[in-house]
This record gives sequence, structure tokens and C-alpha cells, in this order.
Amino acid sequence: MKEQWRLLHTENNSAYRNMAIDWAVLKANSEGKIPPTVRFYTWKPSAISIGYFQSLNEEIDIDICKKYGVDYVRRITGGGAVYHENELTYSIVIPESHPQIPKNIMESYGRICGAIIKGLKHLSIESSYVPINDIIVDGKKISGNAQTRKSKTVLQHGTVLTDVNVNKMFSCLRVPDEKIKDKLIADVKQRVTSIKHILGEEVTFAKVAQAMKVGFEEEFNIELEEGSLTKQELEDTMRFEKEYFSTKEWNHKK
Amino acid sequence: MKSKSVYKIPNGKLLKIFLDYDEKNNLINDISITGDFFAYPEEVIDLIENDLIGTKLEKSILLKKINLIIKENDIKFIGLNAKGLTQGIFMCLK
Repeated sequence: MKEQWRLLHTENNSAYRNMAIDWAVLKANSEGKIPPTVRFYTWKPSAISIGYFQSLNEEIDIDICKKYGVDYVRRITGGGAVYHENELTYSIVIPESHPQIPKNIMESYGRICGAIIKGLKHLSIESSYVPINDIIVDGKKISGNAQTRKSKTVLQHGTVLTDVNVNKMFSCLRVPDEKIKDKLIADVKQRVTSIKHILGEEVTFAKVAQAMKVGFEEEFNIELEEGSLTKQELEDTMRFEKEYFSTKEWNHKK
Repeated sequence: MKSKSVYKIPNGKLLKIFLDYDEKNNLINDISITGDFFAYPEEVIDLIENDLIGTKLEKSILLKKINLIIKENDIKFIGLNAKGLTQGIFMCLK
């Protein structure tokens, strides 16, 4: 019998809530209270997450974000700023000691990205992993990923772009001056792609999520069983949201 | 004096350093190490920033100190390294 992991669907949450859920699940898994967990989620309103080590004011134009109603939040993972709008975001939480997870961090990125690559294949998209943390299709990025390890537990979250609005993205992200911005937008349009762009049609979130579910099941030879957050996870989510992700102290840490 | 550098680590990530230093004595008053790199565990960046306060701004001294902190704390960087960090700090100097 295949090992069973938990699958969570938590759509349309705020940036604070989304980051708090990932941390709460990590905590619960590190305490042995829940099985390895894969979560698929979306952001409402649209949001920018910045890497743990990034400076908020360096990366984001806060006034523009407020004008457009775009949330912003610091992640607990490193990496770069990400504009979350038309995408499926995934997270996986699993013990560092799990036999399916390579001890080597770079190797584990590749392994987990393998699930996304298999998922994309089920949407008829051929992709490949490019270290450090990207998945590309025809040389263009379709997925960015970030991993942390805390309390002997791995959390990796990442994006799968279903569509992309580069102009809006760059209104909110801080770029030195307008000339560079124009060049960057042109450059990013060349370097970023999406499921819609590749297939030439919109694909529903449900279809992408189903493909990714199968991708994880195949990559790790497991079964994903639909579940929900435990009472403890919900309480921790509320606490992390209140004490960290919604606070100026956390988001303006750097 | 307050200064900032932006340095793309070769084959790595974009490092942005904010440095406050004592020009007269060539010492670090304060430093903030930012960027889209990865460090495991994440808390070590705070540790490095604190340990570098009061350090002389000489490449060999900085590199040695950063390497020592990495070794003592079993730090793993992705997209960043001691040499790149030292270079980023030096690029702040006017």
C-alpha cells in the first residue's frame, strides 16, 4: 500500500494568512502531529511576497501596492520577490529525515521540482529544473521555488504561473528608473511564461491543481488524500498571522 | 558614513549591502545583508551582521571572520558565499 500524505486546498487567502498556514503546517509536522502535507493555494487580493532576506522598501513600491490593493508580506523562506496573481502556489511540508527527501538542499529542490515538472507534463507541457530554484519551459521561467528547513522539517513553496501580467507586476515592484523599467519589462516578457501562453488557452485552477496532485503522487510514489487544517494548525495560523506576518516589525525587518 | 552596494554574485544571487562605517578608523558601525539568496538556517544572517560590527574593513580580515562564522555555525549558503559577501561589503566603500 502506498504511503498517504495529506492534500490541502486553501484558496483565496490573504498574503498574511497564506504564509501563516505554511508555517503552522511546518510546526505541526515537526511535532509529528500530521503527515507530510502538500497544499495548493491562491492569493486574494493579489500580493507580493518578498524573500526573508530582502529589504521591503528596496523591492516594493508600497504606495503603488496600496493604490492597487496589492498585499505584501515577508516570507520565512529566502529567494526573491514574487508577484502572486494568476498562479497556483504549492507548498510541501515533510520531515528532513523522510527517505524521499535528499539530505542535500540543492538535490531536494530538484526532487520537489520534479513533482511540478511531472504535473506540467500532465498538462502537455515539457519543462525542466534549472538550479538554483527555477523551472523553465523553452528557456522561459514558469515556476519559482523557495525552501526553508526548520525544526528538522522541510518547507518548500513555489509558484506555477497560469497567466502573467508583467506591466502590473512591475508597477508594484521597485525598479530604479523608468528607462530600466521599460527594458526590464521587455526582458522579463522574454524570460517568463505561463500555462496560458504555452497552451494558447485558459486552464482552470482546478485542472492545474489536479495535474499537480498527480505530479506529486508520481514523483514521490504516494497517495494524496484530501484533508483540512487541524484545530491546532488553525490556532497557530491565527497566532503567526497576528504576531508575525501582519506586523510592520516583521515585514519591515530589513 | 552610510553606503550601499549591489553585487551580483557570480553564478549566484543579487546581494544588496547597507553599510554604516567609521571612515576614520575603517570600522563597521552597522551592516544589513539583504538579497534574494538562501541561507540555512536563516537566523545566521543576523548573527553575521552582529559579529561584523566593529570589524576592520580589510578584505583578508573580513573574509577570515566570515569563513570562521560559517564554519562555527555550520552555515549553508545557496547563491551566496564568503568571498561574494566580502566583495559586496567592499563595494560600499567610497
